[in-house]
Amino acid sequence: MSGSSRGGSSAKSMLRSPFILIVGAVLTWFIAAFLVWPNVNVLIATFFPDGNFSGRAAEKLFSSQRAMKSLGNSFMLAVALSITVNVVGIFIVLVTHYFRIRGSRILFLGYATTFIYGGIVLAAGYKFIYGDKGIITSLLLQVFPGMDAAWFSGFFAVLVVMTFATTTNHMLFVANALRGVDYQTIEAAKNLGASSWTILRRVVLPMLKPTLFAVTILSFLTGLGALSAPQVLGGRDFQTITPMILTFTNSPTSRDLAALLAVILGAATILMLAVMTRLEKGGTYFSVSKVSSALRKQQITNPVANIAVHLTAYLLFAVYTLPVLLIVLYSFADGAAIQTGQLSPGSLTLDNYVRVLTQESGLRPFVVSVVYSALAAVIAVGGLLFVARLLQKYRNWVSSLFEYLLHIPWILPSALLALGLIISYDHPNPLVGGAVLTGTTVILLIAFVTVKIPFTLRMLKASFASVNSSLEEAAAIMGAKTLYVFRRILLPLVLPAAAAIAALNFNSLLDDYDTAIFLAHPLVQPLGLVIKANTDGAEGVEGVANTFVYTVLLMVITGLTMYLVYGRSGRRGAGKSGAGPSGRRRAGFPGTVTIAEAAPGPEAAPLPAGRP
Amino acid sequence: MIRLDNIEVTFGDFVAIPNLDLHVKPGEFFTLLGPSGCGKTTALRTLAGFIEPSAGTVHVDGKNVTRLPSDKRQVGMVFQNYALFPSMSVWENIAFGLRVRKEKTAESDRLVRDIARRVELSDEQLHKNVAELSGGQQQRVAVARALVLRPKILLLDEPLSNLDAKLRHQLRQQLKDLQSEFGITTVYVTHDQDEALAMSDRVAVFNKGVVEQVGTPQSIYDDAATEFVCNFIGDSSPLTPEFIAELNRLSGAGLSPTANSYLRVEKASLTQPATGGTAVGLSGKVVSRTYHGLHSRYIVRSHGADLRLLVKEDGAAHPEAGAEATVYVQPGHVLQYHPDTGRALDRREPAVTLP
Repeated sequence: MSGSSRGGSSAKSMLRSPFILIVGAVLTWFIAAFLVWPNVNVLIATFFPDGNFSGRAAEKLFSSQRAMKSLGNSFMLAVALSITVNVVGIFIVLVTHYFRIRGSRILFLGYATTFIYGGIVLAAGYKFIYGDKGIITSLLLQVFPGMDAAWFSGFFAVLVVMTFATTTNHMLFVANALRGVDYQTIEAAKNLGASSWTILRRVVLPMLKPTLFAVTILSFLTGLGALSAPQVLGGRDFQTITPMILTFTNSPTSRDLAALLAVILGAATILMLAVMTRLEKGGTYFSVSKVSSALRKQQITNPVANIAVHLTAYLLFAVYTLPVLLIVLYSFADGAAIQTGQLSPGSLTLDNYVRVLTQESGLRPFVVSVVYSALAAVIAVGGLLFVARLLQKYRNWVSSLFEYLLHIPWILPSALLALGLIISYDHPNPLVGGAVLTGTTVILLIAFVTVKIPFTLRMLKASFASVNSSLEEAAAIMGAKTLYVFRRILLPLVLPAAAAIAALNFNSLLDDYDTAIFLAHPLVQPLGLVIKANTDGAEGVEGVANTFVYTVLLMVITGLTMYLVYGRSGRRGAGKSGAGPSGRRRAGFPGTVTIAEAAPGPEAAPLPAGRP
Repeated sequence: MIRLDNIEVTFGDFVAIPNLDLHVKPGEFFTLLGPSGCGKTTALRTLAGFIEPSAGTVHVDGKNVTRLPSDKRQVGMVFQNYALFPSMSVWENIAFGLRVRKEKTAESDRLVRDIARRVELSDEQLHKNVAELSGGQQQRVAVARALVLRPKILLLDEPLSNLDAKLRHQLRQQLKDLQSEFGITTVYVTHDQDEALAMSDRVAVFNKGVVEQVGTPQSIYDDAATEFVCNFIGDSSPLTPEFIAELNRLSGAGLSPTANSYLRVEKASLTQPATGGTAVGLSGKVVSRTYHGLHSRYIVRSHGADLRLLVKEDGAAHPEAGAEATVYVQPGHVLQYHPDTGRALDRREPAVTLP
């Protein structure tokens, strides 16, 4: 922690450097124009539409049955999801990390498929398999001709899909917390006569409590802000807040209603995050000792329980892997096979891949997504390199203020941010030189960059903090100037981490839907939107086949990136990082949690399953 | 009280303990001492029931417990890091075993308070979270948690290694006092010879899974049975054959010049001992002197051997490096070991043992 005790860290000394002043000015403009003003604008649009306070939006909301129902649905989904994700998540973590289960490595790989596909891609995948025209449904219809083709829709389908899509948090954080449990406490409990069940219930699970609280809140928020899963699978009867915001945004007369819903969503999010921060502060749940021994897997001694757990584990494995396997398989199938579900070896060709990769219409969304994601990833990392360094070096009220402001995208749902950008820049605005941004290709890029700021900033700060400050001091003693030290000493050390952060950003933006659906240019549609359109049957069977190919390509890219970032040293790194679930998108609120890791730990995972 | 017979422990291909026999008497404070990786913790864990031996038997109080799980053996254990349950209060930690046994709450409370009083934990501390306690208090909670179930033996796995030096000294006395107060048979594992010597009734010195010597602290120090024990315990200087020959010539002793010979640092002196009748003086030269306040450490070269010795800083004048000096040594203090087997030569009949 260099600089904290030095005289040079005060706010005054910061303002003396012209270089810092320039960075500060640019940063202030960016924060004002894209983080603060759009959100303030949403509040104004909601409560002060004509400059005076008005409760009209609230009245409209209360009188709109659809809107009220969506609110209720969202909270119902959030509560139900908090329960189901915990049940499934805790089970798969125990099966892969705590109990001695045959083939637990294979099981792990199956459960980990949500790391490489999620969001709209996953929702679309489930629809193509279980939906009314889905592969499995077609097969089932041949066996049971009378059954309801639309069996997989509504609340049930949304809950199932989202449950299996968001156990990623458990795989990351609960598994990590479990690894931190001191095995000696388990042996001590055994020595005192406790059974396996008592040990699990009274010793192990209580130690995971803070992590479980946090992932529960993440699940709650995921359910609350769900967009793609209700849109794709919810059907008419089950719509939630975010799809409503989207619908209302598209009609100028109901924008105030959209704004109010976004404000409600934002308020609920902030409230839950505040609860989580409080919970994280209270109580010691982790080992109090310095030397701890590594966890060893526990045998389930009761043979009946053992068989039941094995069966359930493999059943879940099938649930997790079936969509992936079918998507990969059917990505090679022809239209007839996709429609009927019946596959013969002869119908497997590379035609779909050839079409997507050679035809302009097939390749275009892919290229659009790659360009947007790459630009946003590089701009976010490049732009924040200096900022992160300055915030890490100077600790005073000015830097804390900037840090808090830069975390705005972290506490607000993306629907609110997107809506803010739309209503702030749909007319000439002096903040951006009098330009109109809404409807242009730039606005989505701005949103992409904005959304990635908190994660990028925290990871970059951590990697700067991990650089031994003596290096810098040694260079300074030999007469190197600040910028020279930054360029020659710090940058080379931080660059690998910066590259990794950029790669993770790229990954998570590649299949983005939630932001793009609000902001994308109608002619420059990224992948997520095209996949969603295909689920509506817009492009027919060819569209479905294309989506399968996109999904496979996305899984390959995501898997490869994650391997490059985590793979080689991943196992070790995953073990030592003690950061809570908060790490992913939420905790590490400036000043509360510091991650002392150079390379992004697992908490940095791109979490494709963010909001399906 | 405790008998380990022909115990063999293997981990895959690795034989951690080839063949171990140990007998611990009732009420005894018995220490397993050795460098890290010597098998002492493995032996303790075998006794606790966390490791099943591939051969041999474990008896506790005359009962064969070799195949019994840990909680059926009536052994209490204090873990290296105490293994206190971080999510429970002190009271809940101590009561854990009682609650598992479905003891009535009122009875549990009485037993917990009773044991807490005996290990000097206050009522107020009972309701604290374990993280709020100091290292010493945590240790007492761990001891109380083990003892509240009234085990027949208490196992302690390096319970002091977690602490800083000062606290370690203080707590080892407390631990020893608790043990003598409860009178419980105790098996203690440590790599710290100082701890072992100061606390134990008897010590077993481990090396590579084999017990080199079992004996009282004084016997393993003064009559180290093997060269390993001699080197591991205490501080001594290796002697050369020329030195032994000169010692034999001056004193008429029959020490073997071909054996590996050692002399404890505190057994050599630069002044004629007032009472040591058999001490003889050998000429030498001071190689170095290091001042430690309480004493100085000297290295004196004499007949090829670099003798290390301590001189008390009592205000008298002492030689500096480079000065000629006379080293006084009693032949009876020389420890001798067979160069091949490492076994001690019998000092009472020195000349006969080595063929």
